[in-house]
Amino acid sequence: MKTKFNWLRNPYLQFLLFGLLLAMVPVLAKVGIFKVSYITTLGGAFIFAIAALGLNILLGYSGLISLGTAGFMGLAAYLSAYATMDLNLPFEVAIFLAILIPTLIGVLVGLVSLKIEGIYLAIATLAVSEVMRKTFEEFDFFTGGFSGKTANYPTLFGIFTLDRATMYYFIVFVLIAIMILTHNMVNGRLGRALNAMRGSEAASQAMGVNLMKHRLIAFALATIYASIAGVLYVHFIKYSYPSIWSLKLSLDFLAMIIIGGLRSIYGTLLGAVIVFAVPDLFLKQLPYFSQVSYILNGILIILVIIFYPHGLIYAGHDIKRAFNKLRKGAK
Amino acid sequence: MQNNQVDMNGLVLRIEELSIAFGGLKAVDSLSFEIKENEVFGLIGPNGAGKTTAFNCITQFYKPDSGAIYFKDRKGQTQNLLDHNVHEIIKLGLVRTFQNVELIRELSIIDNVLIGAHTDFEATIFSQAFRLPKAVREEREMRAKAYKILETLGIEDRANLPVGGQPYGILKKVEFARSLISDPKLIILDEPAAGLNDVETIELASRIRKIRDELGCSILLVEHDMRLVMDVCDRICAISFGKFLAKGTPKEIKENKAVQVAYLGIEVDHDTKQ
Amino acid sequence: MSTFLQVIFRSLETGSLYALASLGIIIVFRTSNITNFSQGAVAMFNTFVVTYFFNSMGWPLWMAIIAGVISAIIVGLLIDLVIIRHTKKVSPVAKQIVTLGMVMIVLGIAPMLFGVDPLRLPRLIEDGNISILGADISYNGLFNIVFGIAIMATLFYILQKTKVGLAVRATASNEYTAKLMGVPTKTVTMGAWAVAGILGVLSGVMAAPMTSVTLGLMDEIQINALIAVVLGGFQTFYGPVIGAYVIGISRNLLLYYGSSVWGGQILYILILVFLVFRPYGLIGKKIIKKV
Repeated sequence: MKTKFNWLRNPYLQFLLFGLLLAMVPVLAKVGIFKVSYITTLGGAFIFAIAALGLNILLGYSGLISLGTAGFMGLAAYLSAYATMDLNLPFEVAIFLAILIPTLIGVLVGLVSLKIEGIYLAIATLAVSEVMRKTFEEFDFFTGGFSGKTANYPTLFGIFTLDRATMYYFIVFVLIAIMILTHNMVNGRLGRALNAMRGSEAASQAMGVNLMKHRLIAFALATIYASIAGVLYVHFIKYSYPSIWSLKLSLDFLAMIIIGGLRSIYGTLLGAVIVFAVPDLFLKQLPYFSQVSYILNGILIILVIIFYPHGLIYAGHDIKRAFNKLRKGAK
Repeated sequence: MQNNQVDMNGLVLRIEELSIAFGGLKAVDSLSFEIKENEVFGLIGPNGAGKTTAFNCITQFYKPDSGAIYFKDRKGQTQNLLDHNVHEIIKLGLVRTFQNVELIRELSIIDNVLIGAHTDFEATIFSQAFRLPKAVREEREMRAKAYKILETLGIEDRANLPVGGQPYGILKKVEFARSLISDPKLIILDEPAAGLNDVETIELASRIRKIRDELGCSILLVEHDMRLVMDVCDRICAISFGKFLAKGTPKEIKENKAVQVAYLGIEVDHDTKQ
Repeated sequence: MSTFLQVIFRSLETGSLYALASLGIIIVFRTSNITNFSQGAVAMFNTFVVTYFFNSMGWPLWMAIIAGVISAIIVGLLIDLVIIRHTKKVSPVAKQIVTLGMVMIVLGIAPMLFGVDPLRLPRLIEDGNISILGADISYNGLFNIVFGIAIMATLFYILQKTKVGLAVRATASNEYTAKLMGVPTKTVTMGAWAVAGILGVLSGVMAAPMTSVTLGLMDEIQINALIAVVLGGFQTFYGPVIGAYVIGISRNLLLYYGSSVWGGQILYILILVFLVFRPYGLIGKKIIKKV
């Protein structure tokens, strides 16, 4: 029976089917099974999942930590808003600029902070994110200061102006594309080199892995992913405040990949849904709901690290195994 | 960089006056030796003699204070290894293993072997990400090559199992396979017999000879286990307290007075040791 | 000249705050091998405790501070007993993330217990100024400088000259060997967390009158203290303290003579660049790795 569904094991087919599944949400909302607000909540979670995937390449595969994810994401959001609203540039050009500039800055930061010992990296990126936060607050002409910056749904190729539902489809499309590209990268030469770097610096160097170069690649990829997420965010939620891009958000990204699963693409997505969507969808009625979800995430991080280091994505797998064991025991 | 002035005729590695000190303590003190092509060469010495330090200098994990290390690379050109970074060494044709097995637990055995081929891949990250035909073909060819090496070591049936949880003897073989996939001219084995039982050690000895004969490469053995060294080495260099002690065939080394003193720990004149 | 001196006095005061916080971080790092990102958040929590006893219960400030210190000790012990003790097999980066998880928990709990409104905590010495060489400094500021130095001097005396200090240093240099030699390393680690908590609440109480008691009270101090530890190097207890005063002084000079808006950020960038050339900090040395 197992061989019959072998074609289902093709990872690319799985990604596509998964994408189709996610694309059902607006349809279900239309027939009234879901609330329309779910589109915003889930779309937001998927956007954050993109940035978290980048952080997973950095932390999960390469073993390097960054507290700057929110800062870079915010920078890209402001850049895209500024380019489309103030400079009236086409969306495609805005995307390009909003990815290029943060990535250049990211690589520069990487060059500096990656020379420093591994454990310092978190502190160095924390300092950088502080500089960014201040920039968002002070550069009024560009960020609108504390009152924030607004943006519109994008117009693709100058013809198709998106609305909430179509923007959601666009987000799902980008997410699935990025999941596939990530899958290809981490399962090939690059993924092996990053894994080797995390596992043993000495062995990876002896096998010809240029540590500095690969740390920079991982750092640049994380920045690119965060930038893409920033662009999508500002054109989906349609505003950006300095207080969004705080250390708290960077911690949320960490929570997502730790809770969901280090080195797991689907795990990252699961983490994003747990950290962002679940509190929004189910806990909103509670008093102190944002505090409660924050406490829960903190506790989950610690519990997962200590007791379940592969992340909750493996729960299904483990439950199935335990179940099989039980069944065998019964026989 | 070409160093034509050095005579590398018939040699693969030539070490001249290598010295390195840590905080005033000379770990290796003007050590010189050379390894011939197609030779199994042993570097021996009692604990703390500076064996590991010496070969960390060769593989550029440490930069020696003085001396020169010449190596005839894959293209037959003479390179001073001191001109290269640690990650460039394998590309020249020099690969090492580690004393306490440095493998990546989370990766499968075959993926661990493929890490050894890191520098042989040509496809860019872009073509990997988009799975362009060239990258796909390259990955397939390398995987086949890795599988073949696992076959020669008799562990191909485990190729797709994760490294974590495998028995020690298997791990040693995986590390060996990882060094073979880069088509090296010289393999440095750091205490390959450590942690192996008698049967495994005998098997290791025959494997070392077989690799040398089939690949036509040289092997530098840094080892504690005297039986293995005496058994497989063509020539041996003995060192003690970072200094050269004796050089010769296993038989000559066995009969050498200075080596016996160093190994058996008989009192020597302390003035000569500084 | 007198302005310059005034800036220096202010710097010594903020330097003391940073130094207390960074000493808390390094004590925990040396004994538990954890870069503690929760130092500031826990200090903020305990400062809220002080504020609560002072404002809501009407206790005198000194009694409220004692309550805060007790709370700091309890929280510190709990952190070690409930969380840190179970992270022995976890990688250093994952340990950092554990402390970040603690930050999230504290940031969630504090507003539930103490509300979200900013609270006021007065100075220990309400008013009075002293003029030294034309530069004014408040009695409270002077007290903060002297008190900070006194606390640190006491700690260094204990570390260097007493049996307890020896146990701490032994644990810091090699926990395994220390354990074999009969040092109660578990108690030492637990004590380190408690001491870090006390240092934290003291720096919090010193910082509170300058702004108000909010969730973000210790953010800046936490970041500057962490950077002070990096700047001073992780290998000694005194390096981070030196780093803290260097940061306190150069930060205020930059804010006053450079840019009042960007001074702090410029300093961060300068320190990052400095670390490129001296990756092990002012005091630290390169450790040779064995492979």
